[in-house]
Amino acid sequence: MSALFILATFLLFLGMVKYLLSLALRSRTMFFLATAMMFLGFMAITAGFVQRSMATGHGPYTNLFEYCVFGAWAVCAVFLVAEGYYRIAPLGAFMTPIAFLFMLVALPLSPEADPTLPVKAYWLTLHRTLSILAFASFALIFAAGFMYLIQERQLKRKHIGGWYHRLPPLDVLDDINRKGLIFGFPIITVGAAAAMVWSAQNYGSVKIEPSTMLLIAGWVVYAAASAGRLALGWRGRRAARLGVAGFCMIAAALAAHIR
Amino acid sequence: MNLICLGVNHKTAPVELREKLDIPQRELESTFAALSQAAPEITEKVILSTCNRMEIYARVKDVDQGVESLKAFMAGYHEIDRATLDTVLYTLTLEEAVEHLFMVAASLDSMILGEPQVLGQVKDAYRSARELRATGVILNRLFEQSFTVAKRVRTETGVAENAVSVSYAAVELAKKIFGDLSGKTALLIGAGEMIELAARHLVAQGVETVLVANRTHQRAEELARAFNGEAVKFESLHDELRRCDIVISSTGAPHFVVRRDLAEKVIAERHNRPMFFIDIAVPRDIEPSVNDIDNCFVYDIDDLKTVVEANLAEREREAKRAEEIVRAEVAQFFAWLDHLEVAPTIVALREKMESIRKAELEKTLGRLGSLSDKDREAIEKMTAAMVNKMLHAPVVNLKKHAETDDGFKSLQAVRKLFDLEG
Repeated sequence: MSALFILATFLLFLGMVKYLLSLALRSRTMFFLATAMMFLGFMAITAGFVQRSMATGHGPYTNLFEYCVFGAWAVCAVFLVAEGYYRIAPLGAFMTPIAFLFMLVALPLSPEADPTLPVKAYWLTLHRTLSILAFASFALIFAAGFMYLIQERQLKRKHIGGWYHRLPPLDVLDDINRKGLIFGFPIITVGAAAAMVWSAQNYGSVKIEPSTMLLIAGWVVYAAASAGRLALGWRGRRAARLGVAGFCMIAAALAAHIR
Repeated sequence: MNLICLGVNHKTAPVELREKLDIPQRELESTFAALSQAAPEITEKVILSTCNRMEIYARVKDVDQGVESLKAFMAGYHEIDRATLDTVLYTLTLEEAVEHLFMVAASLDSMILGEPQVLGQVKDAYRSARELRATGVILNRLFEQSFTVAKRVRTETGVAENAVSVSYAAVELAKKIFGDLSGKTALLIGAGEMIELAARHLVAQGVETVLVANRTHQRAEELARAFNGEAVKFESLHDELRRCDIVISSTGAPHFVVRRDLAEKVIAERHNRPMFFIDIAVPRDIEPSVNDIDNCFVYDIDDLKTVVEANLAEREREAKRAEEIVRAEVAQFFAWLDHLEVAPTIVALREKMESIRKAELEKTLGRLGSLSDKDREAIEKMTAAMVNKMLHAPVVNLKKHAETDDGFKSLQAVRKLFDLEG
């Protein structure tokens, strides 16, 4: 395993701790440090990928190890874009653990490529790239939804605690949910279609495993969330709940897949 | 050199006494003149006089003597009985005085923790004193640093965050729901002082359109004019509610003005865009169960008071963190003050020369390998004597000069010339 990935894991860990501290202490300095760590971690993964792709001759999506590191990379990328846009400190505290977890899962895995999988499988490549990017934007929706549910509960129950002072406005969180769906849902739909095409081409049929069922369930949740938002004005708590539920399903599917 | 602070504040003295001790801005010049005459040994002073406190910061040679002459001056100047003065006056010296000023400037000693006015008052007090040539190098540095402390406390802690009045709490809640308030529409139901105040805050935060509904339409029109808004008919409330994000209600009606079924209809028509109801009427105008509708938030007057209390508690927690900043800054101030002391400067100068002498000696002796012990000793002695002789006149003069009022200038010059900083 490349030293760059180990370095990246370390940086993501530092970034995560600093985000949690910045949330607890509400320290701007800590927040800037945390962002710097995450950015460096992201650059380290990127550099690691470039190095690795030059050695292997293909992108980072052929085996589980690459898949996990790619996941961490995508979560970092989506997170950094969202943070740059919204500049809300607590987002990091909820998203960076996901990126770090990906790296942690990847570390003990064998980085050797799986020889049974064709490297130049176009549909599979498309599927994996798109699903990971969609997963990252769903992680963003999850983080925003989680914060929304906490903040909304505080506001409804008039229980003004530490969270009330720390979390961003509801409308901003709902906006993240909306933008995340606009980005993530079309991508995962195309990604899933690509998987079916690939499966049909290789196995002659669409192969359905238990984890696939979870993925389909997750997709249905996001489909409902998107349609509901567009047609019925579903927003706020309902949208947040769907975002959290959908992510739990696809995260469980992913966990089942890795195991 | 010593620093003292004598004063009274809202905690130690009742208002009758504070107003007696007050020194208005226009009298400052004569007060400083009188003080200089009464206590010429006090070389630097700043008078901070606000409605909550009256404090004199002074640089004195001797603490006890300085305190005594300041007290005598205050009693005489304000014609207050010394015994009464002694019961309410606090006397702070050195670290305590510095820490106190930093706490005051950072609004950690205020009646309402974190209130922003006091910093401006400290700045004014310092500027006036400076213009009247009542301050010098020590108090200048002290006050300048107190502004830095105040700024750090504001930006690094949450002491000044979060609303501590009911009308601001309403605005803060609106921001927690909507984020940016620009482009939002507010509806005022009823007219009154409270509702006007809340509306003023909302407009200041960017609320674009203000609608006013009132039983007497004329009053509604008056209020609407004040906010460049629109007066709407009380009867058409349902239609108007649809375009409103924030509703502030304060009517004298004995029944609910907005019922749950109406709110449910309106929120559906709004495609669930959130609504925030602020109910400051007693008896209440908004049916409380409106709060149970998704995307509807209802706060009555008691809820707003709860928010204020929670915010005050939060400020107090943050004040604990702010005190750490203050302590660090106090230490920094005294580190700077040390630079103005002659002894540490001389020690630093000697150490610097000694280290140069040792380094050069070692180099030379290393090259002249074949020397006897006696020769080495002679060279060693000679270099030490050279350093001592060269330093003799500067050190004696520095000590002599440091006693004078602008002695710090020579000390700073020496520190600069010989690179003795840090």
